[in-house]
Amino acid sequence: MSFFGLGRPQPTSAEKIAAVENELKMMADMHNRMTRVCSAKCVDKTYRESDLAKGEAVCLDRCSAKFFDVHAKIFDQIQKETTERMAAAGGGGGGGGGFGM
Amino acid sequence: MESCYVKTAMSGVAGFGLGGLFGMFMASMAYDTPYHTAGAAVSPISSMPWRQQLSTGFRDMGKRSYSTAKNFGKVGALFSGVECGIEGLRAKNDMGNGIAAGCFTGAILARNAGPQAAAVGCAGFAAFSAAIDAWMRMPKDED
Repeated sequence: MSFFGLGRPQPTSAEKIAAVENELKMMADMHNRMTRVCSAKCVDKTYRESDLAKGEAVCLDRCSAKFFDVHAKIFDQIQKETTERMAAAGGGGGGGGGFGM
Repeated sequence: MESCYVKTAMSGVAGFGLGGLFGMFMASMAYDTPYHTAGAAVSPISSMPWRQQLSTGFRDMGKRSYSTAKNFGKVGALFSGVECGIEGLRAKNDMGNGIAAGCFTGAILARNAGPQAAAVGCAGFAAFSAAIDAWMRMPKDED
């Protein structure tokens, strides 16, 4: 068993496939949520005509842009906290002192 | 999503056409007064020869209908452009856009007659726009 790099085991191909599947599920879920939330907020419920009015189209643009922004920010925050927690757990388990207080 | 420029242009053209028709209609109803030819004494139109009556009549109709067409075209383009712009800014599709655009258009049309006339024009045009919008947004009766 030889280790390349700093000793962390490389993910197997099954894990890689699982990771891609998870990301796809996340994207699909985000897409569904965004569609539901933004069309509830922006599209008039009386459906007087089939074409999007200019106000509705502008509203959908802004809603989806903000949704993406919020999603990206929260995702980054989650990533940051996860790596901090893992680093704290790894450091604490290996040494005795560490980052976790 | 149609762009505001396209909407403004289409409204201007439609207003021009409608104004032309309206002007032609109004011009055909204005021949009970004595008609002034350039420089000559006042002579009622019925005393001129047939062909001259026709040509004078058509020229007058053309001038009136062109001037009405220009006015209607300007009003239509201004109203449509302002309404589309306000709707784009607010990102909402309701009656407030038409009312605000009507106020702006009415004020612009009456700008030469002072601030009070502009306020009256604003109120009048906004009320007119609100009435038309309300009628168009009435829920259709289910058959």
